[in-house]
Amino acid sequence: MFIDWQDKLKRIGNQVVLFDIPITMHCHHYNINLQKMLEDILGSEGVRLMYKAAEESNHTAFKIMLEEYKRIRSDKSKLEFAASIYQHCGLGVISFQDVGPNGGRIISPSNHHVTGWLAKYGLRKTPGCHFTRGWIAGILEVIYDLPIGYFEVREIHCKMMRNTVCEFDVRIQRGQHGD
Amino acid sequence: MFGYKGGNMAIDSLKIMHAIMEGSKIRDEKGIIPLFGVYLSLYFTSYYNIISYDFISGMGKRRSEKAEKLLISAAQECGYSTFHGIRRSWEWEELVQPMLETVDDQIEGFLSVATAFGWGGEMEVIELIPGNRLHFRVHESYESVGYLKRQGIAKVGKCYMLRGLVAAFMDLLYGDAYPNGCFTFSAIETFCRAKGDTSCEFIAEKSST
Repeated sequence: MFIDWQDKLKRIGNQVVLFDIPITMHCHHYNINLQKMLEDILGSEGVRLMYKAAEESNHTAFKIMLEEYKRIRSDKSKLEFAASIYQHCGLGVISFQDVGPNGGRIISPSNHHVTGWLAKYGLRKTPGCHFTRGWIAGILEVIYDLPIGYFEVREIHCKMMRNTVCEFDVRIQRGQHGD
Repeated sequence: MFGYKGGNMAIDSLKIMHAIMEGSKIRDEKGIIPLFGVYLSLYFTSYYNIISYDFISGMGKRRSEKAEKLLISAAQECGYSTFHGIRRSWEWEELVQPMLETVDDQIEGFLSVATAFGWGGEMEVIELIPGNRLHFRVHESYESVGYLKRQGIAKVGKCYMLRGLVAAFMDLLYGDAYPNGCFTFSAIETFCRAKGDTSCEFIAEKSST
Protein backbone atom coordinates (compact mmCIF):
# COMPACT_ATOMS: atom_id res chain seq x y z
CA MET A 1 0.00 0.00 0.00
CA PHE A 2 1.62 3.25 -1.12
CA ILE A 3 0.63 6.49 0.56
CA ASP A 4 2.18 9.65 -0.81
CA TRP A 5 2.69 11.41 2.51
CA GLN A 6 4.40 14.35 0.82
CA ASP A 7 1.15 15.01 -0.96
CA LYS A 8 -1.13 14.25 1.99
CA LEU A 9 0.60 16.54 4.50
CA LYS A 10 0.68 20.02 3.06
CA ARG A 11 -0.38 23.62 3.37
CA ILE A 12 -3.56 24.75 1.66
CA GLY A 13 -3.66 28.51 1.92
CA ASN A 14 -3.32 29.31 5.59
CA GLN A 15 -4.11 25.84 6.85
CA VAL A 16 -1.93 22.80 7.41
CA VAL A 17 -3.87 19.72 6.34
CA LEU A 18 -3.54 15.97 6.42
CA PHE A 19 -5.80 14.34 3.81
CA ASP A 20 -7.39 17.80 3.48
CA ILE A 21 -8.44 17.73 7.15
CA PRO A 22 -7.15 20.70 9.19
CA ILE A 23 -4.39 19.73 11.57
CA THR A 24 -2.10 21.58 13.89
CA MET A 25 1.36 20.81 15.15
CA HIS A 26 1.80 20.91 18.90
CA CYS A 27 4.76 19.89 20.97
CA HIS A 28 4.93 17.70 24.04
CA HIS A 29 4.92 20.74 26.34
CA TYR A 30 1.39 21.69 25.25
CA ASN A 31 -0.02 18.18 24.94
CA ILE A 32 1.28 17.12 28.32
CA ASN A 33 0.30 20.41 29.97
CA LEU A 34 -3.27 19.91 28.76
CA GLN A 35 -3.29 16.35 30.10
CA LYS A 36 -1.94 17.41 33.49
CA MET A 37 -4.45 20.26 33.73
CA LEU A 38 -7.37 17.95 32.90
CA GLU A 39 -6.25 15.32 35.40
CA ASP A 40 -5.52 17.82 38.17
CA ILE A 41 -8.69 19.86 37.80
CA LEU A 42 -11.34 17.39 36.68
CA GLY A 43 -9.83 14.06 37.80
CA SER A 44 -11.48 11.05 36.13
CA GLU A 45 -13.84 13.36 34.22
CA GLY A 46 -10.79 15.08 32.71
CA VAL A 47 -9.30 11.73 31.73
CA ARG A 48 -12.63 10.82 30.12
CA LEU A 49 -12.71 14.13 28.24
CA MET A 50 -9.26 13.49 26.75
CA TYR A 51 -10.28 9.96 25.73
CA LYS A 52 -13.56 11.11 24.16
CA ALA A 53 -11.90 13.99 22.29
CA ALA A 54 -9.34 11.62 20.75
CA GLU A 55 -12.03 9.04 19.96
CA GLU A 56 -14.41 11.52 18.33
CA SER A 57 -11.81 13.43 16.31
CA ASN A 58 -10.14 10.25 15.10
CA HIS A 59 -13.45 8.57 14.25
CA THR A 60 -14.43 11.49 12.00
CA ALA A 61 -11.01 11.83 10.36
CA PHE A 62 -10.28 8.15 9.78
CA LYS A 63 -13.61 7.72 7.99
CA ILE A 64 -12.62 10.49 5.57
CA MET A 65 -9.17 8.96 5.05
CA LEU A 66 -10.55 5.51 4.29
CA GLU A 67 -13.02 7.03 1.82
CA GLU A 68 -10.04 8.28 -0.13
CA TYR A 69 -8.40 4.85 -0.23
CA LYS A 70 -11.22 2.58 -1.29
CA ARG A 71 -8.69 -0.05 -2.35
CA ILE A 72 -7.92 -0.65 1.31
CA ARG A 73 -10.61 -3.26 1.88
CA SER A 74 -9.50 -5.88 4.38
CA ASP A 75 -9.58 -5.18 8.10
CA LYS A 76 -5.90 -6.11 8.30
CA SER A 77 -4.96 -3.51 5.67
CA LYS A 78 -7.09 -0.88 7.42
CA LEU A 79 -5.29 -1.59 10.69
CA GLU A 80 -1.93 -1.26 8.93
CA PHE A 81 -3.07 2.01 7.40
CA ALA A 82 -4.09 3.29 10.86
CA ALA A 83 -0.71 2.30 12.33
CA SER A 84 1.10 4.17 9.56
CA ILE A 85 -0.99 7.30 10.25
CA TYR A 86 -0.15 7.05 13.96
CA GLN A 87 3.53 6.90 13.11
CA HIS A 88 3.33 9.57 10.45
CA CYS A 89 1.67 12.01 12.83
CA GLY A 90 4.56 11.61 15.27
CA LEU A 91 2.23 9.85 17.71
CA GLY A 92 4.49 6.81 17.97
CA VAL A 93 4.47 3.16 17.01
CA ILE A 94 1.42 0.96 17.46
CA SER A 95 0.89 -2.71 16.70
CA PHE A 96 -2.57 -4.16 16.13
CA GLN A 97 -1.63 -7.82 16.32
CA ASP A 98 -4.51 -9.36 18.15
CA VAL A 99 -7.71 -7.42 17.66
CA GLY A 100 -11.08 -7.93 15.99
CA PRO A 101 -14.70 -6.77 16.14
CA ASN A 102 -15.05 -8.26 19.63
CA GLY A 103 -11.97 -6.51 21.01
CA GLY A 104 -8.45 -7.71 21.72
CA ARG A 105 -4.99 -6.51 22.72
CA ILE A 106 -2.86 -3.78 21.19
CA ILE A 107 0.75 -2.86 21.92
CA SER A 108 2.55 0.48 21.63
CA PRO A 109 6.30 0.20 22.18
CA SER A 110 6.71 3.99 22.04
CA ASN A 111 4.52 7.04 21.77
CA HIS A 112 4.52 10.83 21.89
CA HIS A 113 2.64 11.10 25.18
CA VAL A 114 4.97 8.66 26.95
CA THR A 115 8.08 10.46 25.67
CA GLY A 116 6.56 13.84 26.52
CA TRP A 117 5.30 12.87 29.98
CA LEU A 118 8.57 11.26 31.01
CA ALA A 119 10.53 14.27 29.74
CA LYS A 120 8.37 16.72 31.71
CA TYR A 121 7.25 14.87 34.81
CA GLY A 122 9.04 11.49 35.05
CA LEU A 123 7.38 8.23 36.08
CA ARG A 124 3.69 7.95 37.01
CA LYS A 125 1.87 5.62 39.35
CA THR A 126 -1.11 5.16 37.04
CA PRO A 127 -1.39 4.52 33.27
CA GLY A 128 -1.32 7.77 31.31
CA CYS A 129 -1.99 7.07 27.62
CA HIS A 130 -5.56 8.40 27.62
CA PHE A 131 -5.07 9.97 24.20
CA THR A 132 -3.96 6.69 22.62
CA ARG A 133 -6.84 4.80 24.27
CA GLY A 134 -9.35 7.15 22.66
CA TRP A 135 -7.43 7.12 19.38
CA ILE A 136 -7.62 3.29 19.27
CA ALA A 137 -11.34 3.28 20.06
CA GLY A 138 -12.06 5.73 17.22
CA ILE A 139 -10.05 3.69 14.72
CA LEU A 140 -11.61 0.34 15.60
CA GLU A 141 -15.15 1.74 15.55
CA VAL A 142 -14.59 2.99 12.00
CA ILE A 143 -12.95 -0.23 10.79
CA TYR A 144 -15.73 -2.44 12.15
CA ASP A 145 -18.43 0.08 11.22
CA LEU A 146 -19.57 0.67 14.76
CA PRO A 147 -20.81 3.80 16.53
CA ILE A 148 -18.67 6.02 18.73
CA GLY A 149 -18.61 4.64 22.25
CA TYR A 150 -18.95 1.00 21.19
CA PHE A 151 -15.53 -0.02 22.49
CA GLU A 152 -13.94 0.63 25.84
CA VAL A 153 -10.14 0.71 25.71
CA ARG A 154 -8.20 0.21 28.94
CA GLU A 155 -4.46 0.50 29.38
CA ILE A 156 -3.11 -2.44 31.34
CA HIS A 157 0.61 -1.68 31.06
CA CYS A 158 2.13 1.75 30.56
CA LYS A 159 5.68 2.88 29.91
CA MET A 160 4.98 5.94 32.05
CA MET A 161 4.93 3.42 34.94
CA ARG A 162 8.18 1.76 33.92
CA ASN A 163 6.52 -1.09 31.98
CA THR A 164 8.41 -2.15 28.87
CA VAL A 165 5.53 -1.40 26.51
CA CYS A 166 2.10 0.19 26.67
CA GLU A 167 -0.56 -2.50 26.32
CA PHE A 168 -4.22 -1.85 25.69
CA ASP A 169 -7.18 -4.11 26.32
CA VAL A 170 -10.17 -3.51 24.04
CA ARG A 171 -13.63 -4.66 25.06
CA ILE A 172 -17.16 -4.03 23.95
CA GLN A 173 -18.64 -1.38 26.20
CA ARG A 174 -21.28 -2.69 28.60
CA GLY A 175 -24.73 -2.27 27.06
CA GLN A 176 -23.36 -2.47 23.51
CA HIS A 177 -23.55 -6.28 23.15
CA GLY A 178 -26.18 -7.46 20.71
CA ASP A 179 -27.25 -10.27 23.02
CA MET B 1 8.31 55.83 22.59
CA PHE B 2 10.05 53.73 19.97
CA GLY B 3 7.76 51.15 18.43
CA TYR B 4 7.71 48.67 15.60
CA LYS B 5 4.97 48.36 12.99
CA GLY B 6 4.89 45.00 11.23
CA GLY B 7 6.44 44.21 7.88
CA ASN B 8 9.99 45.52 7.91
CA MET B 9 11.88 42.94 9.89
CA ALA B 10 14.64 40.87 8.37
CA ILE B 11 12.97 37.49 8.81
CA ASP B 12 12.35 35.22 5.85
CA SER B 13 9.14 33.55 7.09
CA LEU B 14 8.77 31.33 4.05
CA LYS B 15 12.17 29.80 4.66
CA ILE B 16 11.25 29.00 8.27
CA MET B 17 7.88 27.54 7.26
CA HIS B 18 9.49 25.41 4.60
CA ALA B 19 12.03 24.05 7.09
CA ILE B 20 9.25 23.11 9.52
CA MET B 21 7.08 21.47 6.87
CA GLU B 22 10.06 19.40 5.75
CA GLY B 23 11.28 18.69 9.29
CA SER B 24 7.82 17.55 10.36
CA LYS B 25 8.04 14.76 7.79
CA ILE B 26 11.01 13.17 9.55
CA ARG B 27 10.32 10.64 12.28
CA ASP B 28 12.75 8.56 14.29
CA GLU B 29 12.37 4.79 14.59
CA LYS B 30 10.05 5.30 17.56
CA GLY B 31 7.60 7.34 15.50
CA ILE B 32 8.55 10.53 17.34
CA ILE B 33 9.22 13.87 15.61
CA PRO B 34 12.08 15.70 17.30
CA LEU B 35 12.23 19.19 15.82
CA PHE B 36 13.40 22.58 17.08
CA GLY B 37 14.27 21.06 20.45
CA VAL B 38 10.77 19.68 21.14
CA TYR B 39 8.79 16.53 20.33
CA LEU B 40 6.19 17.45 17.77
CA SER B 41 2.85 15.80 17.01
CA LEU B 42 0.51 16.42 14.11
CA TYR B 43 -3.13 16.10 15.00
CA PHE B 44 -6.57 17.30 14.07
CA THR B 45 -7.61 20.75 15.24
CA SER B 46 -10.98 19.27 16.22
CA TYR B 47 -9.28 17.35 19.06
CA TYR B 48 -7.86 20.49 20.63
CA ASN B 49 -11.14 22.35 20.21
CA ILE B 50 -13.13 19.58 21.88
CA ILE B 51 -10.67 19.58 24.78
CA SER B 52 -10.84 23.36 25.30
CA TYR B 53 -14.53 23.98 24.86
CA ASP B 54 -15.75 20.82 26.61
CA PHE B 55 -13.37 21.54 29.47
CA ILE B 56 -15.04 24.91 29.96
CA SER B 57 -18.52 23.33 29.80
CA GLY B 58 -17.38 20.57 32.15
CA MET B 59 -16.31 23.17 34.72
CA GLY B 60 -19.85 24.58 34.77
CA LYS B 61 -21.01 28.20 34.55
CA ARG B 62 -19.72 29.18 37.97
CA ARG B 63 -16.19 28.07 37.17
CA SER B 64 -16.03 28.93 33.46
CA GLU B 65 -13.86 31.99 34.07
CA LYS B 66 -11.44 29.86 36.05
CA ALA B 67 -11.43 27.31 33.23
CA GLU B 68 -10.53 30.00 30.69
CA LYS B 69 -7.70 31.23 32.91
CA LEU B 70 -6.37 27.69 33.27
CA LEU B 71 -6.36 27.16 29.51
CA ILE B 72 -4.55 30.46 28.96
CA SER B 73 -2.01 29.69 31.70
CA ALA B 74 -1.38 26.20 30.34
CA ALA B 75 -0.69 27.69 26.92
CA GLN B 76 1.47 30.50 28.28
CA GLU B 77 3.59 28.15 30.35
CA CYS B 78 4.01 25.79 27.43
CA GLY B 79 4.64 28.58 24.93
CA TYR B 80 7.34 29.83 27.28
CA SER B 81 9.05 26.40 27.49
CA THR B 82 8.45 25.54 23.85
CA PHE B 83 9.84 28.72 22.36
CA HIS B 84 12.70 28.76 24.83
CA GLY B 85 13.58 25.28 23.51
CA ILE B 86 13.03 26.41 19.95
CA ARG B 87 15.41 29.34 20.17
CA ARG B 88 18.08 27.13 21.75
CA SER B 89 17.77 24.45 19.05
CA TRP B 90 20.35 23.88 16.34
CA GLU B 91 17.65 24.51 13.72
CA TRP B 92 17.04 28.01 15.13
CA GLU B 93 20.76 28.61 15.44
CA GLU B 94 21.39 27.66 11.83
CA LEU B 95 18.26 28.92 10.13
CA VAL B 96 16.76 31.81 12.09
CA GLN B 97 19.58 33.32 14.11
CA PRO B 98 21.44 34.63 11.03
CA MET B 99 18.30 36.58 10.02
CA LEU B 100 17.97 38.34 13.39
CA GLU B 101 19.22 41.89 13.48
CA THR B 102 17.76 42.90 16.84
CA VAL B 103 16.33 41.13 19.88
CA ASP B 104 12.87 42.29 18.77
CA ASP B 105 13.24 40.40 15.49
CA GLN B 106 12.78 37.19 17.48
CA ILE B 107 9.05 37.95 17.63
CA GLU B 108 8.84 37.69 13.87
CA GLY B 109 10.79 34.42 14.00
CA PHE B 110 8.39 33.08 16.65
CA LEU B 111 5.38 34.05 14.54
CA SER B 112 6.81 32.28 11.51
CA VAL B 113 7.17 29.10 13.57
CA ALA B 114 3.62 29.47 14.94
CA THR B 115 2.27 29.98 11.42
CA ALA B 116 4.11 26.90 10.19
CA PHE B 117 2.61 24.90 13.07
CA GLY B 118 -0.86 25.69 11.70
CA TRP B 119 -1.99 27.74 14.68
CA GLY B 120 -3.69 30.56 12.88
CA GLY B 121 -2.88 31.03 9.25
CA GLU B 122 -1.25 34.34 8.51
CA MET B 123 -0.02 36.14 11.61
CA GLU B 124 1.24 39.70 11.71
CA VAL B 125 2.74 42.09 14.19
CA ILE B 126 0.70 45.28 14.27
CA GLU B 127 2.83 47.02 16.85
CA LEU B 128 5.71 46.13 19.10
CA ILE B 129 6.88 48.49 21.80
CA PRO B 130 9.97 46.69 23.07
CA GLY B 131 9.66 45.69 26.69
CA ASN B 132 6.11 47.00 26.98
CA ARG B 133 3.52 45.92 24.48
CA LEU B 134 2.88 43.54 21.62
CA HIS B 135 -0.19 43.87 19.43
CA PHE B 136 -0.66 41.17 16.83
CA ARG B 137 -3.26 39.87 14.44
CA VAL B 138 -4.14 36.30 13.47
CA HIS B 139 -6.27 35.71 10.42
CA GLU B 140 -7.44 32.13 10.83
CA SER B 141 -7.00 30.94 14.37
CA TYR B 142 -8.02 27.27 14.55
CA GLU B 143 -9.61 27.96 17.91
CA SER B 144 -12.00 30.62 16.61
CA VAL B 145 -12.79 28.65 13.46
CA GLY B 146 -13.47 25.54 15.56
CA TYR B 147 -15.64 27.41 18.06
CA LEU B 148 -17.79 28.91 15.31
CA LYS B 149 -18.24 25.48 13.76
CA ARG B 150 -19.08 23.71 17.02
CA GLN B 151 -20.92 26.33 18.99
CA GLY B 152 -21.76 29.33 16.82
CA ILE B 153 -21.15 33.00 17.58
CA ALA B 154 -19.44 33.70 20.88
CA LYS B 155 -19.88 36.65 23.22
CA VAL B 156 -16.19 36.83 24.15
CA GLY B 157 -12.87 35.88 22.54
CA LYS B 158 -12.21 32.13 22.36
CA CYS B 159 -8.53 31.88 21.41
CA TYR B 160 -7.08 30.79 24.73
CA MET B 161 -4.01 29.11 23.32
CA LEU B 162 -3.03 32.18 21.30
CA ARG B 163 -3.65 34.50 24.26
CA GLY B 164 -1.19 32.49 26.32
CA LEU B 165 1.23 32.32 23.45
CA VAL B 166 1.49 36.05 22.75
CA ALA B 167 2.16 36.73 26.42
CA ALA B 168 4.79 33.96 26.43
CA PHE B 169 6.61 35.62 23.52
CA MET B 170 6.91 38.83 25.54
CA ASP B 171 7.93 36.88 28.68
CA LEU B 172 10.78 35.29 26.75
CA LEU B 173 12.03 38.51 25.22
CA TYR B 174 11.50 41.02 28.00
CA GLY B 175 10.88 39.04 31.20
CA ASP B 176 13.54 37.81 33.61
CA ALA B 177 15.94 35.19 32.28
CA TYR B 178 14.46 31.72 31.71
CA PRO B 179 12.91 30.05 33.73
CA ASN B 180 11.96 33.03 35.93
CA GLY B 181 10.20 35.28 33.46
CA CYS B 182 6.98 33.38 32.79
CA PHE B 183 3.76 35.35 33.50
CA THR B 184 5.57 38.71 33.50
CA PHE B 185 3.14 39.61 30.71
CA SER B 186 -0.50 38.79 30.15
CA ALA B 187 -2.64 39.19 27.05
CA ILE B 188 -6.17 40.09 26.11
CA GLU B 189 -8.02 39.26 22.91
CA THR B 190 -9.55 42.43 21.52
CA PHE B 191 -11.12 40.97 18.38
CA CYS B 192 -12.07 37.36 17.66
CA ARG B 193 -13.51 35.62 14.64
CA ALA B 194 -15.64 33.57 17.00
CA LYS B 195 -17.42 36.84 17.88
CA GLY B 196 -17.97 37.64 14.22
CA ASP B 197 -14.89 39.83 13.75
CA THR B 198 -12.84 39.45 10.57
CA SER B 199 -9.70 38.35 12.42
CA CYS B 200 -8.41 37.84 15.94
CA GLU B 201 -6.22 40.45 17.65
CA PHE B 202 -4.21 40.21 20.82
CA ILE B 203 -2.45 42.71 23.04
CA ALA B 204 0.16 41.60 25.55
CA GLU B 205 1.27 43.97 28.28
CA LYS B 206 2.98 43.71 31.66
CA SER B 207 0.83 41.80 34.15
CA SER B 208 -0.73 44.01 36.80
CA THR B 209 0.17 41.67 39.70
